[in-house]
Parts: sequence; structure tokens; C-alpha cells
Amino acid sequence: MTQGRRPTRAGRRPSPASAVKAPRRRRRLSLRTRSLTRLRVGFLLIAMIVSVFAARLFQLQGVDASAYVAKAKAEGVVSVTLPATRGSITDRNGTPLADSVDGLMLVADPTVTTKHASQIATVVAHRLKLDYFDVLARLQKPDTHFQYVARRVPSTTARAIVATLDKHQWKGIATRRDPVRSYPSKDVGANLVGFMNDAGQPSEGAELMFNDLLAGKDGHTSYEVGGGNQIPLGDSSTVEPRSGHDLRLTVDRDVQWYTQRVLRSAVQDSGGSSGSAVVMDTQTGELLALADYPTYDANQPGLSKQSDLGSRALRDVYEPGSVEKVLTSSALIDAGKVTPDTKITVPPTLKRQDRVIHDYFVHPTIHLTLTGVIAKSSNIGTVLAASQFDHEELYDYLRDFGLGQSTDLGVSGEAAGDLPDWHQWSQINQDTIAFGQGVAVTTVQMAAAVNTVANGGVYVSPSLFEGRVKTVTGQVVGSGTSTEHRVISKRAAKLTAGMMEAVTNPEAGTAGVAGIDGYRVAGKTGTAQRVGTKCGCYNGTFTTSFAGFAPADKPRFTVYVVVQAPTNGGGGGSIGGPAFHKIMSYVLQKYAVPPTGTKAPTPKIDW
Amino acid sequence: MSTLMNQARTRVPRFAPRFAEAAVERARLTVVPRASGRRAARVPFMLLVSVLLIGGVAGLLLINTTMQQVSFHQTALEDRASVLAAQQQSLDMQLDQLRDPQHLATRARKLGMIPPADPAFIQLGTGDVLGVPTAAVPDGSFRIDPLPTKKPRLLDPKPIVEKAPVTTDGAAASSGGAAGGRKNGSATDRTGATAGTMTGRATTQQQGSQR
Repeated sequence: MTQGRRPTRAGRRPSPASAVKAPRRRRRLSLRTRSLTRLRVGFLLIAMIVSVFAARLFQLQGVDASAYVAKAKAEGVVSVTLPATRGSITDRNGTPLADSVDGLMLVADPTVTTKHASQIATVVAHRLKLDYFDVLARLQKPDTHFQYVARRVPSTTARAIVATLDKHQWKGIATRRDPVRSYPSKDVGANLVGFMNDAGQPSEGAELMFNDLLAGKDGHTSYEVGGGNQIPLGDSSTVEPRSGHDLRLTVDRDVQWYTQRVLRSAVQDSGGSSGSAVVMDTQTGELLALADYPTYDANQPGLSKQSDLGSRALRDVYEPGSVEKVLTSSALIDAGKVTPDTKITVPPTLKRQDRVIHDYFVHPTIHLTLTGVIAKSSNIGTVLAASQFDHEELYDYLRDFGLGQSTDLGVSGEAAGDLPDWHQWSQINQDTIAFGQGVAVTTVQMAAAVNTVANGGVYVSPSLFEGRVKTVTGQVVGSGTSTEHRVISKRAAKLTAGMMEAVTNPEAGTAGVAGIDGYRVAGKTGTAQRVGTKCGCYNGTFTTSFAGFAPADKPRFTVYVVVQAPTNGGGGGSIGGPAFHKIMSYVLQKYAVPPTGTKAPTPKIDW
Repeated sequence: MSTLMNQARTRVPRFAPRFAEAAVERARLTVVPRASGRRAARVPFMLLVSVLLIGGVAGLLLINTTMQQVSFHQTALEDRASVLAAQQQSLDMQLDQLRDPQHLATRARKLGMIPPADPAFIQLGTGDVLGVPTAAVPDGSFRIDPLPTKKPRLLDPKPIVEKAPVTTDGAAASSGGAAGGRKNGSATDRTGATAGTMTGRATTQQQGSQR
């Protein structure tokens, strides 16, 4: 344009030379000037408008950008947490004990739901037993497109609600994935599995101890929506959730159920305060069942007392009583101090230091073999036999049997029991410890100790979880970490098992009811004075128990039943014995363990 | 366009003094007409451009629409998938409930079945019986259901027991007792209580007469 102007001026100069054409030129020139002016004004206008646009653009993109982005997000972008599926907890066969079920969450778009908020809230609050006004407030929340209405709703319920709302054309409620924890077996294994509380946090049991393993990692997604559908090519980002790992228990659900029901009957019928029962695989040390009573329904833990939510078999310690005689006598045999036929003269009472030891049955001076001492469960006989040990010997044996040491199963609050250090023993301590008083154990500890005798003298550390798993405290537990060590010789174990067979002998022993027709069953009753929680002293209540294994000459399972504080006057034989019989019969039948076909020798109990 | 022509015209006079002006004038007059052929060639080009433009817009629209439709379809299919998954899961849960040992035991009990006391096996190959087959007896069984929950004392009061008086002799005493008995049988606790006092009085009378 500027170039065009210069020649025009240059052209003007020579214009006087040709006077004839001058007026025409002038007219042309004025025309040109006018159009030029118009152009200039036009361009100026355009430039002004464009600069206004540019300024606005700069303002939008440069100055207020973040504010607008945020505003845009609030308008149409939805961001949701994608909950990870929690790993399931199964029994040894993969039957779920704790499972994540495909639940749904109900979410609302308040811009849509506001219209029919009261009707929707009525339906939702009624069906899900929620607070009506809380739901209503969520449905009417201004300036948002996303509100949680209810979480962890079973999918069938959630879908039924949405279907009802759809029928009435009340729009704005949608569903999203939200796994629900369910415990299909209810109270079966609840003491081991634990539960998730209302806030979705793990409480108790394996849920708590293996939370890191089970939890997985939540993902999240954000995307733009229009009319309920994701806008294609719209901004979206998704981080997929990572599912948790499964956890497998060594427990068999059916055995666990059976054991729990038998235990419950035993505790209730004897008027006991609580009880536990253990079924252990003799060779592997795996616990096929670990039952507690009272226990709770993992789906409704709130209905039970806080003290019932854990596993008593692992948390509570008690004095084992006569079952301990198995350990003492097997140690004596192993040390070569006695044989099952060793003759012992048992006086009616025995004065030791300042205390007098009695037997539970009144008798004159009797002549029993060691087998007879075990079969009749004589305290005095055991004390006399055990006095051949010095403190340290007995202590070392009991320590090897696992007493006073945590079984490290991977359950929170597991007790270690209490075996006092032998340096602090006096003679009376050794005497009472020999027959199971003055020493405290957990149910699993004692089962594992008796199992040593069943397993040919080799202690196998018990396990409750398959493989190698890491707890939240960093401890690696499970059947993969199981250790073994020899405590007594194979021969000593065999001889002890023979003595224990006399216990289930209907004529000779204290627990004929525990015997199973056709099988050789080894067992031992226990009736111990029990320390009350209130006074911390023996309060006149008892701990009755029965431990045993079968078949006695080729053991497959060790079963141990403990009933605390029975009120019907029964002992280990009459309360624990029948329960042992039922549980043992069941596992032998379930795992198809036929009788060995050999006959138990007639026990020689006296001389 | 006109500016260009103006330029052409005005530029020429610069050299006018040097060369013959007539020739310059002539030269100015020569306006080369545009070839008509070139103008005609523009039509297919325009056509091409507009076809491309319309095609592009239409294609874009089409793609957009399809994608929208696919998005709807995706949402619908996802819904269907989750409905089916939920259905499968509820069926699985039903199956689990049916498999539940508690459920099986309840059903078995209803059929009158109880667990065997002592297990025994038959060796299929030889027909040998291993173990001692024993008849299952209810005594050897156990409860599969929890005991009924104890009612609170308020809802489960002890039954009120009233001892009927010993009516050996005395018409008044026996009639009183009979009246008490009738009232007792026919009415609520309160009338029972009054009946009790009545019988009580009757007894006193009786005792009195005996003395």
C-alpha cells in the first residue's frame, strides 16, 4: 500500500507537463484517495476488533486459564475412585470363607435428581434403610454432577432400586462397581478369618494381619460426561485398580464346621463358659480346624461381645492339667528313666514340702505301672516318676515340646503361654508342672506338643496358612515356614502312644467314651484347677480337656478339645471325651482313614 | 486489480522522456485480454474443493455420530455385562448357600439322618469290611443349631404356681377351694392372685377349724 502511494505522488509532479489530462487525473486521484481512506478506516476497525479478541484470548488462556479449567471440570468431568477387589480368604480346598462380592455404589447427578429428589430419596432410604434427609441433601446438592448416595450395596438390591426409579422416570441415579465383603460361612472360621468393619477397614483375624496382601490398590478414573455417556475423544484418564491376592487357610471348612458344632454342644451341655478345639494333621502340622466357642457371625460382628471376636485357642492361656502327663512320661521314657511297665507304689496322698498332693479319685495305697498311672491319671504316680528328673531336664523337654513359646501362626495377639524358668523352680514347682499345674499353655501349643508323640517324637510347628505369607508386621508365616525338630526318640513316642491307648480302654482308662470301635485310639484326659479372671487364684472351677490321636499305631490326626469352667461336674473324660470321639470319627471318615487292623494290646496297669 | 493497472500506467511515464512518447502511449493501450480458457478451468477446481470440503465435513460428522453411537453401545454393553456378572454372582452365592455344611446338615436332619458314631469302610475290591459298623444313635449326635436365645426375665416370667388346699373336711373350706380353683383356671394372673388369697383364707379357716 505504501509502495503504491509513492508512485502516485511521483506521478503528480509531472502532471503540469500534460495539462490536458490533468482534470481527469485529479478526479481519479480523489477517487483513489477516498477508497484508500476507506481501506485505512476498514483496516483500523478490523485491527481494533482483532486486538480486542486477542486481548480476550490472552485473558482466557493466559490469565484466568486455571480458573476456567477448574470450572470446566466441575461442569462435565467426573472423577471416580475404582475400588480394588480385595483378595478372598479360602479354606484349604479353595472354598471361600471371605469373599468380595460384586457390590455396587449408588451415585447421583444432583443437577438431574433435584427435580424428583423427594421421591428418589423415599425409595432409596426405604430400601437401604438409610436416613431420608441425608439422602435428600445429597440428591439436592447444588453445583455438582456427582454425589455418593450409598456404598457397598449388594448388586441385586442396587439394580432393583434403579429399575424402580427408571419405571417412574426419575432420572439421575446411576450405579458403579463397589465390592462388598461377604462371609458365606457366617460363623464358621470367623475366629480365624476376622471381618471388615462398617468403615470398610479390617478388624481382627486374617483380614487384619494380612491386609497388605489382601487389599490390592485402588485405581481412579476421570472422564467427561454428557447426558450420562462418556464423551468420546473427551479428556479421560484411568488408572486401573490392582486386585489383592488370595489367602488360603490350612483349615477345611467342613471339618471346621463340624468341630465348631460339636464344641458348641459340648460347652453348652456341660455349662462351660468357653471352649476351643483343634484338629491337626499329624505329619504336616497343618491345622484342619481351630474352633472357638463362643464365636460370632462375621457378617454381623456387632451382635457379639468384643471378647468373642478373636480366637481364644490362641489368645487365652490356661493350665493344661493331666494332658501334660503325656509329655512328662514320654520325656521320662526317652531319658531312659522309666518304661511303661515301671512299678510305682501310689500312696493315698503325697506330702511334698509344705503341700499335699492328692489324686482326683480317693484310693488306698495302690500298685500301678506307669501305664496305669497314665490310664488312671494319677497325680501322685506322675510326681513320683518325674522326681527322677532334675529341674533342668524336665524344663528342657517341655521347652522342646513348644511350651512357653509362641506358635507364630500369624494371628494377632497370639499368646506365648508361660513355662517358668527352671532356675526359679522349687521341688513343688517341678511336681505340679509334671502333672500340668503351674504352667500355662494355649490350645494350639498343647495340641502341637501332644502331636509330637503322635508324629514319632518329632515336633512339627503348627501352621494355619498355606504357603509362605507375610503379615502386616513383616513376619513370614505359613505351612511353607514350618519347622521340625526331634524331641523324643521314636521308641519313646511309640511306648507313650501305647500308654495313651490304655486311657481309651473302656475297662482300664478314664475315657472309654473317647474310643472308636475298630480303631486304636490314643488319648489323655485333663481336668485342671482353673485360675479365675477376677481373683487371679484357683476359684474352684476347672479346665477339662481331652487330647488324642488316631490310629494310635499310625497316627493321621491329633484332636484336642478344651472346655473351660464346666458346671455339670464333669471332667476331661466325660466332657472332652465324647467331643473328641465325634470329631475324630468325622475326620477319619472324611479323609477315608481305615482302621489299621491291628489290635491294641491289653494294658497292664497294676501289679 | 485496478490498482495493479494503475501502477502499470503510472510507471510508464517515468521513462517517457527518454523514449518516444507515442510508443509509450501505444504501449499503455495494450491491454492483454485474459485467456477465456483459464477462467473455464476454475470450475472443476472449485468443484473439487467444495467436494473435498463437503466430504470432509460430512465424513467428520459421520465419524462423530458413529463414535457417539459406539459410545452408547459401549455403555449399554457394559451395563449388560455387569447385569450378567451380578446374576452369575447371585447364582454362585445361591450355590454356596446350598453347599453350606450348615444347610446340608439341616436338610439331612429333616430327613432323619445323623452322623455315624464310628466310621467303617467297605473295601470295594474284596468286599472286606474295615472297622466295626455301628448303628448311628441320636445320643451320639450333637446340636447343629444354637440353643434358643434366653428371653429377658421381663418377657419370660416364672409361672405362678398356686397350691390347691388340702381339702380333707369342712364344706366351707372345700367350696372356697373349689371357687378359688375355678377362678384360677378362668382368668389372668391378677384374678389368679386374688383367687390365691381367697384360697389362702380358706386354708386359714380350715386350720382354725382343725385347731
